Amino acid sequence: MKFLLVSISLFSFIFGQVSFTGNVVSSMGESRNGYYYNESLINTQIQFGRFNNWLQFEFSDPPELGREYNGLRKLRLEYLNGPLQIKLGDMYEIWGRGLILNSLDDQSIDRDSGIRGIGIVYETDAFNIHFLSGQSDYSMSTIYSPGYNSRTPNYTTTHNLYGVHTEWQLDSHLAGLTFLQSKEAHPVNTFPEDTLDIKNRLLGAHYIYNNSLIDVYVEYVKNWSTLLNEENDGFTNYLDGRALYGNVNLYFSLFSLNLEYINYRFGTLDPLNRWNNVDNYGIIQHFQNPPISGVIGSTTLINRTSHQTDFNNEVGYKLEILGSIRDDFEYYGFISRSSRSNTWFINNEFEWEKEGQPVILPQTDPAANPYKAYYGEISGYLFDYTLHTQIGYSYSEDMIDLAYYSKTDTSKNMNYTYQSAKTIPLHTSFTFSNGWSIEAKIETQWLKKGIWRFEELNGNIIADSLISEFLDVNENPIGFQQNTFMSISVGKSPNWTMAFTLDKISTTEPSFGLDQKDDSSNSLESLLGLNMDQNWANIEFVYNVTSSFRLSLMYGSLKGGLLCANGVCRIIEPFENGFKMGITAAF
Amino acid sequence: MKNLYLISFLFGLMLNAEPNKESTLPNLSFKLLDGSKISLDELLQDGPALIDFWATWCAPCKKEMIHLERFQQKYSKDGFKILAISTDTPRSMSKVKSYIRSKKYSFKVALDPNQQIAQKFNATLLPTAILINKNREIVWFHQGYIPGDEVEIEKQILAVLNNKTTEDTSE
Repeated sequence: MKFLLVSISLFSFIFGQVSFTGNVVSSMGESRNGYYYNESLINTQIQFGRFNNWLQFEFSDPPELGREYNGLRKLRLEYLNGPLQIKLGDMYEIWGRGLILNSLDDQSIDRDSGIRGIGIVYETDAFNIHFLSGQSDYSMSTIYSPGYNSRTPNYTTTHNLYGVHTEWQLDSHLAGLTFLQSKEAHPVNTFPEDTLDIKNRLLGAHYIYNNSLIDVYVEYVKNWSTLLNEENDGFTNYLDGRALYGNVNLYFSLFSLNLEYINYRFGTLDPLNRWNNVDNYGIIQHFQNPPISGVIGSTTLINRTSHQTDFNNEVGYKLEILGSIRDDFEYYGFISRSSRSNTWFINNEFEWEKEGQPVILPQTDPAANPYKAYYGEISGYLFDYTLHTQIGYSYSEDMIDLAYYSKTDTSKNMNYTYQSAKTIPLHTSFTFSNGWSIEAKIETQWLKKGIWRFEELNGNIIADSLISEFLDVNENPIGFQQNTFMSISVGKSPNWTMAFTLDKISTTEPSFGLDQKDDSSNSLESLLGLNMDQNWANIEFVYNVTSSFRLSLMYGSLKGGLLCANGVCRIIEPFENGFKMGITAAF
Repeated sequence: MKNLYLISFLFGLMLNAEPNKESTLPNLSFKLLDGSKISLDELLQDGPALIDFWATWCAPCKKEMIHLERFQQKYSKDGFKILAISTDTPRSMSKVKSYIRSKKYSFKVALDPNQQIAQKFNATLLPTAILINKNREIVWFHQGYIPGDEVEIEKQILAVLNNKTTEDTSE
C-alpha cells in the first residue's frame, strides 16, 4: 500500500496541478545521565483537485520516546467529492465521545493507536455514515511483559478492524449507532511464547440534544470478547462488559454548569491484575479512549498528581462551573469523584473477591480505590489588559492501589497506596507598550504519598496512618514533601522569549528504577548554590526566526516523573545536565 | 549521510521558512459548535479571515483570544472574520461552548477533536494563527503567542484588508 500511495503522490505532484505545504518538528537532546535523542518528523500535504495526500517521514536515532524509525512513517490519500469522502492509509478517527473509537497519535507519551486501511464517509446535514476497515498495531511499554524500558515499547498487539458509525439529525436532536469488531492477535506471557486469537465486538448508541440553554449527551456501549478455541476451531464466549457516559451542560447568562458522569465496566479485574493488560484480554482496547471523570492538570505540579483512570472499571462524576465576573475577569472550578464499582477483599482461599453489587455512584471505602479532587481558579486583567493574574487552589486525594485487605467477623487489615496533594498555582504577566513582557509562574505543592495501613480488632482501631515514602536528610520518613515549581521569563514580541525554570523538592524520594540524579549538578545549579539532589534548573531560549519558524534551545536539567496527556499517564525519565534543541517550522 | 540530508533540509527551511503563499487551500468544511457547518468559501465570502487553532487547556491561546475578539469587533465591517478552531479532544470538549459563552465571544468556533484540520493547516503548536485572503491563499502564518503579539496580528490584518481594498478598487 505504501508503494501505491507514494507512486500516486509522486505522479500527481509531477504531472498535476498541485499545491504543496508541510511542516517539520525536530528535536535533539543529550544529557549527562545518557538521555540522548535525535528525532525529526516531516509532514507534507499535497493537494491536487479533489485529492489530498498526507505523508509523514520520521528520522530518529533514537526518538525521545518509542522505537527508532527512519523513513515513511504515515501516509494517507483522501478523496473528497461533496458528501462523499474516501480515505486510504493511516487514519485517526473519533466516533461519538470515543467510548468505541478514539484513535490518536500522541508523541508526548508515545501513544499511537492509528488504523491503516480504508475509510468511507457519506455526510449530509441530516445524516452521516462512516465505514472503516483496517489494521491497528499498538505498541507500549509495560512492566507486565519481559524487557521493560521506560522509553522503548516492549509489547505489541495487532487488531484487524472493521466498523460502521451512523448518525441522524432532526432539528435539535441527534441519534447515532456504532458497531466495531476487531480480530486481535494478543501475545501472552507463557512458555513457550503464545499468541491468542481474540474476537472483540463493540456495539453502542448515543443521543445528543442541543439548544441555547442546555446540551445533553448520552452514550451507552456493550462489549463482547470471545477466544478462538483451537480444539474445535471456533470462538467460545469469554467476557462481556458495558459502559455509560453522560454529559449535561446548563448555560446561564454569565456562567455555565457542566456535569459529566462515567460508569465504565468494560472488564472488572482484581486489584493485583488491575493494570495488567498483557495477561488479561477482552477488556478495554487501545483504540478506545473514553472521557474521564477527573481533569488532567494543566499546571506542572498538578499534572504530576493526576489520577490514572481505570477505563475497565470506574464510576464517577465531575461538576464544573465556568463564568465571567466582568469582561476581563473569569473563574473556574470543579469537583470530581470516582471509585471502582465494587470493593475487593482477600477471601479464605487467599484470592481476591468482589464484594456486593456494583454501585452507580462513587464510593468512599478505600477497598474501592476512591479518588476525589477539587479545584478553584480566578484570573483576570488589570490596567487595560496589560497585567494578567491567575491564582488557583487544588486538592486531590487518591487511594491508588489496594495492596492487601483481609477481614473476619472481628478484624480488618488493609494496606493501600495513597497520595494526596494541595497545590497553589500563581501566574502573573505584564506587557509593556513597546512589545516587551515579563511573566512569572510559581506553584507550591504539599504532597503526601506512601502506604496507608489500617488495622481494626474487636472494634478497636489499632493502626490508621500513612507510612510516608519521603525521607529527610537522615533518611527518616517525613510526613509530606513540599514541591516548588518556578518559572520567570522575559520576552520581546514577536521575536523571542527567555525563561529560567526551577523545579525543587524538599525531601529525597524513591527513584522507581529511574536514574534520578548523577553525581554532579549543572552549571546553573552550581551558580545558584542549589542542592543537586533536590533541584532541577534550566534556562530556555525560544527564537522566532520567521513567523512560521521557531527555534528553541535549552540547557540544564528537567525533573522526571509522571506525565499525563489525553487521560493516559506514563513515567518520564529525568533529563540531567544537558542540552535540548527544538525546531518547528511550516513551509 | 541521512543526518546530513536532514540538516541541509532544516537549514534550507531556516532560510526560507514561510507558508507557501502560492498554494490555494482546498474548500474545507468546518463543523461549528452548534452542529452546523461552514465551508472556507462561505467564511471568506465578504473578506479575509483569520483561523486560530486553540484549546481550553492552552493558557496562551486564551490570552490571544481576548485580542482576536477585539479585532473581530473592529474589522467585521470590512468583511473580516475570525474562526477559532478548538482542538479539544472528547476529554475537554464539553468545556468549549461553556468557555466561549462565558466570555461572550462573537466569532465562530469550530471543532477539530482529532486534529485532522490542524494537520491540513500544518498547525503543530497552539495557538497557531493563519491569515487567509479571499482567494483562499495563506498570507501569514504565526505560531505561539508572546504577550504583545497582538500588535503584529493587527498589523497583518490591516495589511490584508488594505490589499483587499486595493483589489476591490482595481476591479
